[in-house]
Amino acid sequence: MLRKADTSAVWAIVASLVLFFIGGLLTTVVPPMVDKSWGRPFANADPAKGPTGTLVRLNAQQQQGRDIYVREGCWYCHTQQIRTLLADTKRYGWKGVDAPISTPDEFVYDTPHMFGTKRTGPDLARVGGRYDTQWHRTHFRNPRDLVKGSIMPAFPWIVGNPQEFTALVAYMQTLGRAKDWRPSNDYER
Amino acid sequence: MQEQFSRAESGGAAPGAIIHEDTTVKWFVVSSISYFFIVGIIALIIAAKFVWPDLMGTTAWLTYGRLRPLHVNGMLFGWLLAADMGLTFYIVPRLCGVKIWSEKLGVATGVLWNVIILGAVVSLLLGRNKGFEYGELEMSLSVLVVVAWLMFTANILMTVFQRKYQAMYVSIWYFMGCLLWTAFVYLTGNFATLLATGVNQANLNWMYVHNAVGLIFTPVGLGIAYYFIPRTSNTPLFSHKLSMVGFWSLAFVYVWTGAHHMLHGPISQWLQTIAIAFSLMLLVPVWAVVYNLLITMKGQWHQLRDKVELKFLMSGVVFYLLTCFQGPMHSLRTVNAIVSKTDWIPGHAHMAVLGAFSFFAIAGTYYAAPRVFGKLLHSVALANWSYWMIMIGGLGFFTTLWLGGFWQGWQWNNVSIPFIDTVVALKPIWTVRFISGVMIFVGIVMFAYNIMATVLGPETEAAA
Repeated sequence: MLRKADTSAVWAIVASLVLFFIGGLLTTVVPPMVDKSWGRPFANADPAKGPTGTLVRLNAQQQQGRDIYVREGCWYCHTQQIRTLLADTKRYGWKGVDAPISTPDEFVYDTPHMFGTKRTGPDLARVGGRYDTQWHRTHFRNPRDLVKGSIMPAFPWIVGNPQEFTALVAYMQTLGRAKDWRPSNDYER
Repeated sequence: MQEQFSRAESGGAAPGAIIHEDTTVKWFVVSSISYFFIVGIIALIIAAKFVWPDLMGTTAWLTYGRLRPLHVNGMLFGWLLAADMGLTFYIVPRLCGVKIWSEKLGVATGVLWNVIILGAVVSLLLGRNKGFEYGELEMSLSVLVVVAWLMFTANILMTVFQRKYQAMYVSIWYFMGCLLWTAFVYLTGNFATLLATGVNQANLNWMYVHNAVGLIFTPVGLGIAYYFIPRTSNTPLFSHKLSMVGFWSLAFVYVWTGAHHMLHGPISQWLQTIAIAFSLMLLVPVWAVVYNLLITMKGQWHQLRDKVELKFLMSGVVFYLLTCFQGPMHSLRTVNAIVSKTDWIPGHAHMAVLGAFSFFAIAGTYYAAPRVFGKLLHSVALANWSYWMIMIGGLGFFTTLWLGGFWQGWQWNNVSIPFIDTVVALKPIWTVRFISGVMIFVGIVMFAYNIMATVLGPETEAAA
């Protein structure tokens, strides 16, 4: 049948589009219809089912912070996903508590998504509440002052702009917090 | 088929032969090598930042986060896709035995493409980044890309419809596939993503990212390789039937694999499994193509000594085989748990885009540029030097990042090692990567200089 595409350009075009659209539609349009958890915001009140909490939308300040995160390309080096790997849950845990695995319902309001593909720096999916504002101020001014050997760029123009700095930290403190995973509300501000 | 191929290629010898103007090809050749050189400088800077993190560190628009998207978009769209489009404009009229449908439309496409790339440079340095990998360009520029692509598609398809020879050589299918699939893949990655959020959006994004390589650069790159390998070696293609197997299996399996970018991540397990299954099936189109091209060269390998185009082409075929073996392998969950998110990944990506597809484009440019400008290549010796610099630099780049990435992955999986120690451990790797990058860049300069010296050099009568 595909032999026809040897001599007929129309045939070649139709056949290559049909084959493309089979896989294209089945892997992009159909999955969110099958797995409803992709679009349902996280909400859990029952501790027996795991961490409790509710996913809320970012406020205006946090959204501005997120825009800065996108603008500066933080996502090229920091992922935001605790994968189903033991090493991820242990490494990004806190004081012996494992970080909960990231689930689709925690990211329903994210756009653009910030899952990332490369970890030049550590994952940030559960960084919210890990460090206080003063730590972030020092770290953004020059990461090497706090973490010897770090290769993260310094961001003096953000620290020097109180409004941008406060917004960025406000956003970072929300990361991973839909799930209230640390015992006795032990989060830095 | 072979008869048609050589007939279309017999140049000025046949009576009533077509004289190709090739103005469009000239536009794309000159602009693509310029961006190859300019963006090469950006590439060196970001590689250097891994070794000296304070380098140029207090200027917002010179930070890593601003320069990296410029490097990626500049190389993908400014250099590689522009070079590929130019070579498509060169090859298709010759395989069809007719002139390009509209030279004016072609030149307009070339001009518009330059507007897009220059706009991308300015907007990305200003931090105007949409936040999607490979889809960073701001909306107005994305719209212009679509317009330019439609102009390109119309021109090539109309040329194919007017062709003199009924049977179409395999390169033409690949070019047509690239034109059509790119349109939909690009729309998905730059427009459909904006209608979704969260995991749904990420799934659309990875469909685009994966197929930007798989259904844009792969088909156009293979079309170029399928044309220039028989052409430069004066050897018929081994098997037409095998080229059909390769093309139609590519058309079917490639698009299914996007979710393998999120293995172990927050996306449905069954979708991950589907992506893995189809990633393994990718071995079929790849091995069909590679076998066909390698066997074509049977008994002809000695020609690599004399022809720099063949050096690039056949090394590109081997890199294509290797990179497309890595891909299916690290889609396996066990391998993925080690290499995913590490420096292995840029090693893999560079072997595909630089090692395979840029090698094909460089070879095509070395072949086509002297011919369209009616000149002799400025220096064959310099061309050979450019090959060895890019080849050795490239091998250094790829292998150190694989080793480093694997090592990094093992360290991450040992949670008793603090994260910063895994960063410090990689510094020697990044130093070697930077040195390899310098070698690649020197090769790029030699290539770009050689072509420009050819373009600006004295007229000759030896033009084909």
